[in-house]
Amino acid sequence: MKHPGFPLPDTSWEPTRGFWEGAAASELRIPRCDACGSLNWYPPPACRHCGGEALTWRAVSGRGQLFSWSHVTRALFKEYASKAPYIPGIVVLDEDPRVRLVTLLVDCNPEGLVVDEPVECVFRPLSFSEIEGEVIAPMFRPIQGG
Amino acid sequence: MAAMNLPDWGKAEAFDNVSGQVAIVGIGEADHSKASGRTTHDIAEQAIARAIADAGLKPGDVDGIMFGPGVGDQFDEKLYRERFGVEHELWVSHQGGGVVWAATAPYHAARAIREGKATTIVNVFSVAWATQRGSMTGGPGQFHAQEQFKANLEVPFGWFPQPVYFSTIARRHMGQYGTTPEQLGAIAVSARRHANRHPGAVMREKPLPLEEYLAKPMLADPLRVEDCCLISDGGAAYVMTSIERARDLPHTPAVVAGVGGGRTDSPYWSQQGDFTATPQVFSAPGAFAMAGVTPADVDILTLYDPFTIVTLMQIEDMGFCAKGEGGAFCEDQGLDFDGGALPTNTHGGMLSHAYVLGISHVVEVVHQLRGTAPNQVTDAEIGIYGGYSGHRASTLVLRRDR
Ligand SMILES: [Zn+2]
Repeated sequence: MKHPGFPLPDTSWEPTRGFWEGAAASELRIPRCDACGSLNWYPPPACRHCGGEALTWRAVSGRGQLFSWSHVTRALFKEYASKAPYIPGIVVLDEDPRVRLVTLLVDCNPEGLVVDEPVECVFRPLSFSEIEGEVIAPMFRPIQGG
Repeated sequence: MAAMNLPDWGKAEAFDNVSGQVAIVGIGEADHSKASGRTTHDIAEQAIARAIADAGLKPGDVDGIMFGPGVGDQFDEKLYRERFGVEHELWVSHQGGGVVWAATAPYHAARAIREGKATTIVNVFSVAWATQRGSMTGGPGQFHAQEQFKANLEVPFGWFPQPVYFSTIARRHMGQYGTTPEQLGAIAVSARRHANRHPGAVMREKPLPLEEYLAKPMLADPLRVEDCCLISDGGAAYVMTSIERARDLPHTPAVVAGVGGGRTDSPYWSQQGDFTATPQVFSAPGAFAMAGVTPADVDILTLYDPFTIVTLMQIEDMGFCAKGEGGAFCEDQGLDFDGGALPTNTHGGMLSHAYVLGISHVVEVVHQLRGTAPNQVTDAEIGIYGGYSGHRASTLVLRRDR
């Protein structure tokens, strides 16, 4: 598929293709080293922990902790105008907190968010008003009563 | 140099000892302004002419030029010969300019002078981003949108551009260490107060009391516009020569006492080993060791300050206070030139003086050591510039010649 353009991802770009394929199948997938079992993020050419060159995209639980976030009320670039207000943030995974995913926080009141609170992955369509195309993207929400 | 215990998420640059070999003898700032229609070349020429005159030299005396070709359309050796009417060849280094290079250029100059490649070297940096803003897609953030991992794993989620990165860092710092909006505000307010009193500053006529800061709307919560650097047109230059020659020139030399550099393993803010620290952790110790000083000896500090939180983190990471206590330090001890425990960005920094990516910070340190700063710190002898560019940091220690 031809890349639809900024700010949508190029889902065919090889190093992150497995991530977006996983999202399209409602799975959060992260490259895992076949040799030592470590998760690696961002996807490297070889395992950061043992140097192993065989990495396989594996589904993870989608549970993690809210590492941090920003609350943007007026879009900081025009393509995001239709999304404002929005809460871009970073989540660390329960499986390995060294894996930090950039994401969007959804289904929450930004005033109520707390650093390190438990969150879970949900898959939502992501599109922009002036840009053709849509992807399914992993977003996160607080686990109620977590 | 003594072995230092550094964390595992980055490295220090290995620099030879150049302490005491060269000095900054001439400083010049171009006019700093909002959109002015000037080109980077015109701005650089003005800064260089002023720096050479300040050194008591003539354009023909300069036989080396340093700039950073990676940032915008920079002044180079060809332009130097054209604009200053000199014919001779110049030693040229691309290890110059602003940002982290404004601190490490003197290291490369010292080596060139020692090896006889040049005797008198000018480092220059200029920007015309206020003028160019309308025609730049994405502005200073453009570079980040084109990087593939960012484009495919960050930008789609709205984690872009810089105010979002640094508000996320600030939020984590608040959660981890209890840093408050008032503490970030103390940094913005002090920078603005310094700029209000500085004749060359862009934000000269715009006071910012803390109550007003706190009442401003959020740009990217927890950061307000007042936590972010300006966009302005301007530039600066400084002239370096050997310490022996420096002592024959008009001004008290600002001796290059120590230089350091450091970098993180990941080029991505989101993946940096310590999310709420800067690579000053790796850079500052080497510079302090080369200079034979400790943070307690520092009289005046200037820091590359794209956002208030970057000032705060560098103060911690250079060892002026314990990690996590930067907020309380800035609020309680103070950064003001007159009465602050650590006078910092006494010209107003990029937050309020001018957005010339750190080179004016070096000019300010030299002014302070000479005793000619508009916001003069009493009897300043040791001054520092800390450079930062995300995954890199640099540290320059200058000492007033005895
Ligand atoms: Zn491995």
